Amino acid sequence: MTRRAPHRLLALVLMIIGTALVLRALYIPAKAALAQTLLERAFARAKPGEAAPKPWPWADITPLAELSVPHLKRKAIVLEGASGAAMAFGPGHMPNTPAIGAPGTAIIAAHRDTQFSFLGALKPGDEVTAVTAGGRHLHFRVSETRIVRADASGLDPAYGGPTGARLALVTCYPFTGVLHSPWRYVVLADRSDET
Amino acid sequence: MSPSKRGTNMRNTTTKARDLRLTLRFIQLLTATLATAILIMAFAARAHAETIGCGPTRDGLMTKAEAGTGTLLLKTSTPGRYLPAPRVATDIAVDIAGPIARTKVTQRFENPSEGWVEGVYVFPLPESAAVDTLKMKIGERFIEGQVKERQEARQIYETAKANGQKASLVEEERPNVFTNSVANIGPHEAIVVQMEYQESLRFDQGRYSLRIPLVVAPRYSPAPTAALVRCAEAGVGIDLNDPVPDRDRLDAPVLRPEMGKVNPVTLTVTLKAGFPLGLIESTSHAITVKPNGKTDATITLKAGEVPADQDFTLSFAPAPGAEPSVALLKERTGDTDYLLALIVPPTEETRVKPKPREAIFVLDNSGSMGGESIRQAKAGLLAALDRLTPADRFNVIRFDDTLTVLFPAPVDATAEKIAFAKGYVSNIEANGGTEMLPALLAALTDTTPADETHIRQVIFLTDGSVGNEAQLFAAIGEKLGRSRLFTIGIGSAPNSYFMAGAARAGRGSYTYIGGVDQVSAKMAELFAKLERPVMTGLTAKLSDNAEIWPNPLPDLYAGEPVLITLKAPEANGTLTLSGVRGGTPWAAKLDLAKAEPGSGIAKLWARTKIAALEESRVQGADAVQVDKGVLETALAYHLTSRLTSLVAVDVTPSRPADAALSSGKVALNLPAGWDFDKVFGETMRPLERRADAYPTGLLTQLAAKTAPASAVKPADQDLVLPQGGTESMLLLIIGTLLLLISGTLFLRGRRSVS
Repeated sequence: MTRRAPHRLLALVLMIIGTALVLRALYIPAKAALAQTLLERAFARAKPGEAAPKPWPWADITPLAELSVPHLKRKAIVLEGASGAAMAFGPGHMPNTPAIGAPGTAIIAAHRDTQFSFLGALKPGDEVTAVTAGGRHLHFRVSETRIVRADASGLDPAYGGPTGARLALVTCYPFTGVLHSPWRYVVLADRSDET
Repeated sequence: MSPSKRGTNMRNTTTKARDLRLTLRFIQLLTATLATAILIMAFAARAHAETIGCGPTRDGLMTKAEAGTGTLLLKTSTPGRYLPAPRVATDIAVDIAGPIARTKVTQRFENPSEGWVEGVYVFPLPESAAVDTLKMKIGERFIEGQVKERQEARQIYETAKANGQKASLVEEERPNVFTNSVANIGPHEAIVVQMEYQESLRFDQGRYSLRIPLVVAPRYSPAPTAALVRCAEAGVGIDLNDPVPDRDRLDAPVLRPEMGKVNPVTLTVTLKAGFPLGLIESTSHAITVKPNGKTDATITLKAGEVPADQDFTLSFAPAPGAEPSVALLKERTGDTDYLLALIVPPTEETRVKPKPREAIFVLDNSGSMGGESIRQAKAGLLAALDRLTPADRFNVIRFDDTLTVLFPAPVDATAEKIAFAKGYVSNIEANGGTEMLPALLAALTDTTPADETHIRQVIFLTDGSVGNEAQLFAAIGEKLGRSRLFTIGIGSAPNSYFMAGAARAGRGSYTYIGGVDQVSAKMAELFAKLERPVMTGLTAKLSDNAEIWPNPLPDLYAGEPVLITLKAPEANGTLTLSGVRGGTPWAAKLDLAKAEPGSGIAKLWARTKIAALEESRVQGADAVQVDKGVLETALAYHLTSRLTSLVAVDVTPSRPADAALSSGKVALNLPAGWDFDKVFGETMRPLERRADAYPTGLLTQLAAKTAPASAVKPADQDLVLPQGGTESMLLLIIGTLLLLISGTLFLRGRRSVS
């Protein structure tokens, strides 16, 4: 009987830690999904020429545009900033890179296991559209995909590709990895419209 | 007991043993799993932190793509485009009248670029300076600055900046570190900003001394305690307890010394001592002294112009036989009298034999002490060890981001122990961070608090290049006990606020060593103070409605004067000073009618009051009350303080609405004698390019180079893509694993019991 207590205690402690970790693991995608829903609603309420309303009262993030891939039926609201805080809620537009659709390369990053899980399915020629907070519809066409090191991406925000403006969608690589990796998967999409 | 029963027992025993083995193995396995998980997460968190931390936020520094352009560059709102940073030239004019110095600092911000810029200059002033005047000169016009509450001033400045108006904002980051932000400097334009401050000179050992810091040395800011928690997914890590909440305000880019020096300084001191002058000297710079009669002189730099890379020091002594023992100055503003009194108590030898001492020496051997500083510090410490007598006890502590206490407890100063300590000190090298708090606490830990036979003195040798002064002062105030703390400032640009503040909180005194050649003289001075009795319990009395600062008056060591400032409706009658030195009461009476007229005494009084209020926080005064007192005083006397700033704004906007504004901090020199790599190590990327003093030809070249943005540039090496994965899957795997183990363990426990 005396040996039972440590066994049970150990089992209990492990159970608590295990449960906490699992809950935390489930919370991350849940938070991302909920945030995106709220962001979409807020974005839909936005009027042309005005900044989008706050998705929730205490939100400290700025929605920039709705990014969508029509043939995959995927959508995501892009936020300003590529810090961990912003990226927990949605794809982040890296500061110090041009605005989406502006001359140069706008870099947008998101987590491989939430909003940008579809990145691997994009192929050259696929269409990517962006609706900015100002209501402008921008069209892009995927030109190439790359696997690069995070600190040697070869991306230059000042260079906009053949059409002058491009998007670089970035996520972690490999897609199924669970650890942080130095590799990034990059999808380049060139602006393909005139508006 | 039946045989069968014994068999069962035996079987039970073996089962028990097996179970125990299994359990042990389980625990081993578990520990291994947990350790692995923790390691993985820690590594992941670190990798993550690096990606985010060193990524797009590393503004201000330049990219490799710009190699060889020869100037410090600013990032602009358009990526891939840079502007050369604004430069600052400084002129300092000091007017000394008796024990008071009034200094005019003129900073000329020059924009060498084609764009509109905001320059932010982090610069030092003496720690007792009270900045009361700010003027911004545009063309031939002067715009007067106003003192406002810090937030309000910042708002006024930001609004003006956005509107395209020229503006200057002077903020106090520490009593000796200020920032001057100047907005909307046009292409190839210069804006001149002038500040004035008042201070009283330091009088010690029969000499007046003036110390004008010219550069803010890079500060070491200990990491926030909660940053260890996590920095992984979603950036949950919140700084719970940051000892330096304003760390980014103190930071400025520092140039590698081999890149040349920037920020030229010219300096003139006009001295009206009021007594026949003896020796005038500067231990920091070569000076030219032009006497003007017996009591006056003009002092200039021999080199004309020097780089802002070390403190300027000046000391002057009365001619032999002319030593004043009292200085009394009065100023009447409105219906109030302000008075400054400086009294040197006689230092005749008392017959009381001094008590033996328990001396704890603390040596800072962090990276900022690398080069010349550590040589001075070691020489100082070796000289100090030589002064110990066999009746004394001592210990030696050295620290960087690690800590060594030489002896477990203070030991008797025998020849053998001293020789051992000297051997140890000789081999110390400078490297690493400046984690001062643990060393301070170790030094103040008194193993024999009830010991009345020895006086406990902590002698602290450092350059004070830390950002967490407030935390350190609080620790000193709390742990001091019967110990007394003496600071010895080392190097070319020590943190004077730390030196003076720590000594005051530690009820000791401070001194500076500026070069190896001064070590023996300075240590002798310090020891003269340490070995002679101290004056305690000092009080000053006038009438009831006189407000006297500092309050309480500090203890006085041999050769130090009583310095008090006083405010009263009518400062008449007799001022009575009393104290106790070496068990003997001392008192002095001053007839205030003899006071000479002086100027700026009111500001000095206010500044002394603010400093005393700020210090009272160390003794546990209510923060709200302190803030209230500081703010009221600063606003009433038009002074900068922790809570007030000076702001000047031009009325008419000058920047066109469509022109973008770039912003950046002005690069600083590495203090003279410092070792760049020891301070910044391998981890921190230094600025690789210099801003030449006046490279006109180069600038045109540069301007031409940066103008076209359309050209295809090589890849931006500084661009680091952010982390694109969450911890979700990893957490899920580890969590499930733990649950499985737990279940197995639970079942096993049940089975073995049944």
